[in-house]
Amino acid sequence: MENILQGLMYPFLFLSMYFQIFLLMSFFENRKKIKEEEFFETEHYPTVTVAVPCWNEEKTLAATLDSLLSLNYPKEKLYIIVVDDGSRDGTFQIAQEYEKNNPQQIKALTKSNGGKHTAVNLALAQSKADLFGCLDADSFVSPDSLKIIVSYFNKNNKVMAVTPCMHIRNPKSLIQRMQAIEYLMGIFLRKAFGQLDAIQVTPGPFSIFRKSVFETIGNYRKAHNTEDYEITLRMHKHHLKIANAHKALVYTIGPATVKGYFFQRLRWVRGFLENSLDYKEIFFKKEYGNFGMFTLPVAFTFVFYGLYVAFFMLYIFVSHWVGVVERWLAVGIHLRVPIFDLFYFSTTTITFIGMVMFTMFLLVLYIANILTDDKQEFYRNFPIYFFFYPIFIPFILGRSVFDTLTSRKNEWVLQDNKK
Amino acid sequence: MIDTKKYIFTFLITSTIFVTTFFMSTFFSNKRVESVKSIQDTIAIDILSSETQFDLLKEVPCSNVGDTILSAELSELGNKLSHTETDRGETDDDVIYLKKYYSLLQIKDYLLSKKLVEKCGVGKKPVFIIYFYSNQGDCPECGREGYVLTRLKEIYPDLRVYSFDYNLSLSAIDSMKKIYKIKSELPAIIIEDETYTGFQSLEDLSALLPDTLKMSTSTITTSSSTKDNK
Repeated sequence: MENILQGLMYPFLFLSMYFQIFLLMSFFENRKKIKEEEFFETEHYPTVTVAVPCWNEEKTLAATLDSLLSLNYPKEKLYIIVVDDGSRDGTFQIAQEYEKNNPQQIKALTKSNGGKHTAVNLALAQSKADLFGCLDADSFVSPDSLKIIVSYFNKNNKVMAVTPCMHIRNPKSLIQRMQAIEYLMGIFLRKAFGQLDAIQVTPGPFSIFRKSVFETIGNYRKAHNTEDYEITLRMHKHHLKIANAHKALVYTIGPATVKGYFFQRLRWVRGFLENSLDYKEIFFKKEYGNFGMFTLPVAFTFVFYGLYVAFFMLYIFVSHWVGVVERWLAVGIHLRVPIFDLFYFSTTTITFIGMVMFTMFLLVLYIANILTDDKQEFYRNFPIYFFFYPIFIPFILGRSVFDTLTSRKNEWVLQDNKK
Repeated sequence: MIDTKKYIFTFLITSTIFVTTFFMSTFFSNKRVESVKSIQDTIAIDILSSETQFDLLKEVPCSNVGDTILSAELSELGNKLSHTETDRGETDDDVIYLKKYYSLLQIKDYLLSKKLVEKCGVGKKPVFIIYFYSNQGDCPECGREGYVLTRLKEIYPDLRVYSFDYNLSLSAIDSMKKIYKIKSELPAIIIEDETYTGFQSLEDLSALLPDTLKMSTSTITTSSSTKDNK
């Protein structure tokens, strides 16, 4: 039984390693181009509208708006539309106060609750700017982020959307520190995917689009509560180019509790699966390039394979502890001094493959930390990620797959209506 | 645009790494087998040396004969062999060969120790446990019995436990099975020429051990406690 389970690991390990190497190669062969991006000049300042959809965000909205008002961008070219999506707290009052103090730049709108996509679409309908973006009300931009993003549009007329470099803001709790490493990995992935025209998602916090994108492909949709992923799929469907500005720093508040993290990831994974199935015609079609032929099918496969690996690891873990408990029951608990002998070191093929992949993973994080201007507390956050992340994965993937297969309603949406 | 060359090149690199890890694993696994063989060879020489010494007994007094204190080495060898078996699988040819070799060494050590006791008197009498197990899924209690015997050896360091795989195809083991009338009811434990089948708890086995062993252990414990108190 264990041998069969172990044997199934090899195709997964091969695919994972192939994926890692492919992305690293794409990154390294474009490293000069990536370096050049850092020197893009912003000579032309197009008009930009940033929508801030919010639902019960009275605690963070002011700071989000302050960060937008602090952007190094001509004030007469930047418009902010705050859309209160039927909040039950003081969110709209805060938005109105900001509108009163900045009437030229900020507009505050309110509507009954209809979901994030309806709020963004309301702002989109009001916008006449050249570029349109969205910033979640629990996210914050660095002063130069918009200028850097705009430079990508100026440099290449074909670029239709630009994604930023996302970090977790002030990671304090254990869960947030774990996410800090996840986001760091995301920085590398987005950059590498960008070189392949295969960016997977234009995240809610500060992805900026040419206005013409919406004229071509239409407005945001509910899209299983992951509208940012769906719109990316639609852009790929229409062969619209997406770039990544790795120096445009954006910070978001990550869930601080296990429950919050679990529900957010459940929504993301479920949204990924459901939307991918809705766009299954992209899979393995040459016309969609690396995205259709490689990165999307691999990412989709990883959800199921990840689930298998997670449960295999759980099986190994449980088997080990069943043995330990059996020994305790047979002879009682006796502490033993562990014997250090190289003889007992595991030398299986999986161990060596794991070592290679782990080294490559560290390399990916190292590159990501170089790419970003905000260096992360890697040595402090990585051990937390390493020990706790694998515990969450089986439950998140398992529940997401189960819910997708059984078409279970997203009952957690109300608990996690952000991002 | 799809860069087919890059896909092929990545495939080649990944395959190379995979093949390399496979060879590395095989290399280190073989090294491990060699290491076990080397320990077995050393023990074999020690046993042969003891046997030769024993043959000379007629001409030298008992005090000049080194005790066949091979249990410690055999125990370490047993642990390493068990690890190798887990690593390579119980059906691996090298593992089967090593297990046969190990079983023969245990029998030799057992016979030699018994002979020595007969010739040189009861003062040196060690206590032997012969244990038959199976790891082919037909002995659900064998795992637990293994834990009990390991613990028993920790409590009584002078105890000599010889473990034999019931299913190992080796004529010497078959003879042992015949001598002690071991059927397929496992685990089977022989203490002082008495055979006990089924799971024996730590308490059950402790009760079966001769008092001399318990006393020597308590003497060791007492003397070491006295030393500690000084």
